[in-house]
Amino acid sequence: MAADVHNSKVNWDIQNESLAPIDKLRIERSDSPTPGIVEGTEPGAAQEKAMFVHTQSFEDLTAETRDTVDGDQEVESCDLTKLSNDLSQLSTHLLGQEEEQGEAEEKGEDQKVEMFDESLASVTSQDSSPCGREDICDITSDAWRNQRKHVFVLSEAGKPIYSRYGTEEALSSTMGVMMALVSFVEADKNMIKSIHGDGYKVVFLRKSPLVLVSVARTRQSEQELSRELCYIYYQIVSLLTITQLNQIFERKQNYDLRRLLAGSEHLNDNLLKQLDRDPGFLLSAVTCVPLAVSTRDIITSSLQAAKAKNLVFSILLAGNQLVSLVRKKDQYLHPMDLHLLLNLVGSSSSFREGEGWTPICLPKFNPSGFFHAHISYLDSSSDLCLILISTSREDFFCLSDCKHRFLERLWRRNAFQNLLEALQTPTYPVDLVGIPELRHFVYKSKSSGLYTSPELPPTYLVDEEQERLMGLYQYLHGRIHNSRNPLRYIYHCGQRENLLAWVTSGFEMYLCFSPLGTKVLAMNTVTKLLKWIRKEEDRLFILSPQTY
Amino acid sequence: MKTVFVKYLSICLCFPFHSPRMASGSQEKLYGPSLLNFFIYNPKFGPREGEVRWLFSHMFEGSVSWHNSIAIFLFPPHRTFCPTKPAKSLHTQKNRQFFFEPEEHFWMVMVVKNPMIERPSKGGKPDLEYQEEEIFFALLHSQLFNGRFSKAMDEGGVALLRERLEKFFYRYLQALHLGSCDLLDVFGGISFFPLDKMTYLKIQSFVNQMEQSLNLVKYTAFLYNDQLIWSGLEQDDMRILYKYLTTSLFPRHSEPELAGRDSPMRPEMSGNLLHYGRFLTGPTNLKDPEAKFRFPKIYVNTENGYEELHLIVYKAMSAAVCFMINATAELTREFCEQLDNLVGPRLTLLASDICEHHNINRRTPGLEKEPHFKFIYFNHMNLAEKSTIHMRKTASVSLTSVHPDLMKILGDINSDFSRVDDDEEIIVKTMTDYWVVGKKSDQRELYVILNQKNANLIEVNDLCASQILAG
Repeated sequence: MAADVHNSKVNWDIQNESLAPIDKLRIERSDSPTPGIVEGTEPGAAQEKAMFVHTQSFEDLTAETRDTVDGDQEVESCDLTKLSNDLSQLSTHLLGQEEEQGEAEEKGEDQKVEMFDESLASVTSQDSSPCGREDICDITSDAWRNQRKHVFVLSEAGKPIYSRYGTEEALSSTMGVMMALVSFVEADKNMIKSIHGDGYKVVFLRKSPLVLVSVARTRQSEQELSRELCYIYYQIVSLLTITQLNQIFERKQNYDLRRLLAGSEHLNDNLLKQLDRDPGFLLSAVTCVPLAVSTRDIITSSLQAAKAKNLVFSILLAGNQLVSLVRKKDQYLHPMDLHLLLNLVGSSSSFREGEGWTPICLPKFNPSGFFHAHISYLDSSSDLCLILISTSREDFFCLSDCKHRFLERLWRRNAFQNLLEALQTPTYPVDLVGIPELRHFVYKSKSSGLYTSPELPPTYLVDEEQERLMGLYQYLHGRIHNSRNPLRYIYHCGQRENLLAWVTSGFEMYLCFSPLGTKVLAMNTVTKLLKWIRKEEDRLFILSPQTY
Repeated sequence: MKTVFVKYLSICLCFPFHSPRMASGSQEKLYGPSLLNFFIYNPKFGPREGEVRWLFSHMFEGSVSWHNSIAIFLFPPHRTFCPTKPAKSLHTQKNRQFFFEPEEHFWMVMVVKNPMIERPSKGGKPDLEYQEEEIFFALLHSQLFNGRFSKAMDEGGVALLRERLEKFFYRYLQALHLGSCDLLDVFGGISFFPLDKMTYLKIQSFVNQMEQSLNLVKYTAFLYNDQLIWSGLEQDDMRILYKYLTTSLFPRHSEPELAGRDSPMRPEMSGNLLHYGRFLTGPTNLKDPEAKFRFPKIYVNTENGYEELHLIVYKAMSAAVCFMINATAELTREFCEQLDNLVGPRLTLLASDICEHHNINRRTPGLEKEPHFKFIYFNHMNLAEKSTIHMRKTASVSLTSVHPDLMKILGDINSDFSRVDDDEEIIVKTMTDYWVVGKKSDQRELYVILNQKNANLIEVNDLCASQILAG
C-alpha cells in the first residue's frame, strides 16, 4: 500500500506538467518576500490554479449576483435545467403546503417536500435559543436597544422575516416603519442607503424581494455592514434559491416567509456571530488546519479517487477550518459559498447523528439552482466533517459510497490516524513566530484565497475582547479597502494595542502588537513574519489544490 | 424689521470638487455635491394634517419637494434605537439629508445632492453613476446674529420668525459653496496671528484704552490680516463671529483698499486724510448728513441667557477692531465721530507696527523654500487652527495645495478620531504613495501630509517627530 502512495505522488506530478517539483519551486519562490511580490508568489500562494473563485477581500458583495453566475455555468446545463424543474416542482409543493396553512405534517406529502422539511428540521434541531433570545425580546427594554448590532430582514410588504434579537411579532410595527422609509425614498426613484446618528448607523440593503436592515453601534463602515447583510441574504437564498424566493412573493406579496424558514433562524444567528468573530468572513478567505504536507496529500488524493459522476465538490472540514477540497475541473467554489456551508455545518449538531442529505443552493455559484449535499462526520469524536456536493437529487447512496471509499483509503494509508493527531493542535500560538510584542496576526494569500492566523492570545479570549479585536480588524479592513480611497498601509496606535495593516498585490496582512510595540519593531516584524510564513507555508496552506 | 439677520451656521460640507470637472483622459464628467434643499421646520406647528409646519424652505433645482424630506420625521425609526439621540443624516443613492435640531422642536434639514460621475454611454443617453462621497456637515449652532428661534416666536409669532429666516437664509445659502468645504470647515476654528510679546502688549493696551475712553463698549475683538489677536468674547461666540468676519464681511470690503488711494474706485469714505480708518458696519461716510447710524445686532451667550449687542467693525489697513455695545444704548453721530477720531489714527499706527514685525519674522531663513510636508493643526481647547495646506482662505473658495483625494483621507481620519475618545495615531500610505499622518492627543489634532515616496514607516515617524518639534 505504501507503493500506492508513491504512485499517486508520481501521477500527480505528471498530471500537472506545469507543476514543478516542490523543491525546485522553492528556489523560484522568493525567500524573503518584499512588497514587490507579485500575485501568485506570495507565501501561501497556490502553485497551481486556486480552488476558489478569485475574489478580492473587499469585493463588493452588493453587486448583482448575475454577473458572477454566467461563465461558471457550463456545468452540466442539462442537469441544471433538470434541477430547476425539480425546483419548481418543489416550490409548488411548498406553496401548496402553505395554502394548507400549517397542515404540513400531513402524511401523503410528496417525498421531495419531506426531504426539504427534513433538511430544515435537521438544520434546526439544535437548541433553539442560542443567544438567549428570551432575555432580550422585550423591544422596549434598554438591553434590547443597546445590542451592538441588530439585523432585521423583512419582505417588501413589510412583513418581518428575521430579527437577530427579540421576536419578529413584537417588531412588526418597527419593520413596517422601515419598509415605509424604504418605499418612501424609492417613490422618488432613489434608494435609501443608511441613516447616521450619534454613535450608531442604520444600513439598508435592498435585495428584491427582501429588505435587510442592520443597526450597528460598531466602527464598521457602511460598506462593511451592507456586506454583512449580503451574507444574510445569501444565507436565506441558500435555503430557497432566488427563483423560489421570487416565485413565492410573485404569487402572494404579503406571504409570511417565516413559515418557510421556520427553524432556520439559528443559521442566521450563527452566521452573524461568525461575522463578528471570524476574520475569514472579512477577508473572503478560509483557513486551513495546519497539517504535514504528506498527510494532506494523501487525504487529497483519497478524495480525488472517491469520485462519482455528479460529484462537483468534495470538502473535508475540521470545525471551521479546511482540511482539503477537491473540485470538478473548471468548477470553482466561491469562498462565500464555502462560508455558508461552514455555517450550515457549524450551526447544527444533527449531522453528527448520521449521514445528512440536504438540498442547498450555493448562491455565488448559481443562485437559482439547488445542489445536493451529503454531509457526514467521519468520526463521532472529532470535528472532521465531509461534505460531498452533487448535482443529482438521487445521488445519496452513490455519495455515501464515495464516503466509504474515501474512508477506506484513508485507513489503508494510515492517514486517518495522522489526521486525528494533527487535529489535537488545530491552531498554533503566535509565540512560534518568535516576536514577543506581536499578539496576533491575520495573513491572507490573495491568489489562493486562504488565510492563516494564530490562536487568540489570552488578552483576547473573552468574547467581548475578541469582538473588539475583530472590530479593529474590520475597521482597518474597511479603511484600507475603502472603495473611494483605498490605501496601501495603515499603522494605527491606540490605547490598548498598535495595529498594522498592509495590502500588496499578492497578500494582505493585519498585525496586532502590544501597545509597547514601536514602529521600528513593526517594520521588522513584517519581514520576519513573512519569512516564517514562507517557511511554514506547506503546513499552513493548501499549495496544490486538486481536481477529480 | 431692519434687524440684520445673519445667522451664521452650517459650514462644512465637503471636500474640494470643482463642478463640473472634466476628468483627464476620459469623457467622464464629475459633478461636485450641490445643495438641493434647505428647510427649517417645527413639528409643533400645525398639528392638523396638511398644515404648513415649515418656517423656511429653499429649493435648488427643485427636484425634491419638501414633503419628501420632512416626512422622514413623521416616522423616525431611529428613535426606536436611540430615543435620546435622533439621527443626524440620511443617505440615499442620490442625495444626503442632514438633520440638525438647534433648539427644541426646531429642525434644520439640508438636502445635498451626491457628487456623481456622468459617463457618456453607448446608447446616447448619459449614464449617471452616483458616487458616494463623504459629505461633512456641521451645523454650528449659534444665536449670534438672530437670537433664539423661540424668542422670536414669543416676540412676533410665526410670521415674524418666518420673515427673519427668509431674509437671512436667502442670502446665506446663496453664498454657501458646498463644493469647496473641507476639513478646516469641519473644525470651524480660529486662526491666530503669531506675534511677539511687545506688539501684543501694545495691542492689549490699545484695547484697554479704547474700552476706557469709549465706556459704552462692552466687548472688543482685534484682528489682523484676517487672523485673531485679541478677543473679549466667549470662545464659541467668537468662533462664529470670526467665521462671519473672515468669510463674509471682510471679503466684501476688501476691494476699495486694493484699488489704491487715488483711484476713482475708492469711494469718498471718511474724508479723513490723517488715517486709514473706516467703518465696515454702520455709516460709510460720517460727513454725509443723510448717514444712518445703525449697526447690525448680534446675540451672544452669557451665564443667564444671552444679550443683544450692536456690532461695530472698524478697520484700518489690515487691522480690524470689533466693538460690541449693549443694544439698549443709542448710537449717535457724535459717538461715531468720537470713535473715528480716537481709534482711526491709533489703529493706523498700530497696523503699520504689526506689519513691520510681521515682515521681519517672515524673513527668517528656512521658511522660504517649499517644505516637503504640509499640515493642518487644530486645538479643540482654544479653537486654534493652523494650516499650511490652504494657500489662502477667501470668501468663496479655499484654495488647497494638495489633491482632493488626500483631503478626503484627512476627512476620513478625522471622522474616525471623532468616533472615539481615546488618543490615537494613524499613519497611512495612499495608493499614490503619499504618507498621511493623523495624530490626536488630548484635545489637539494634527494632520501631516508627506510627499516622500520611498520613505518607510520609521523614517516617516522620525520625520514627523522632528517636524513637530521644529514647528
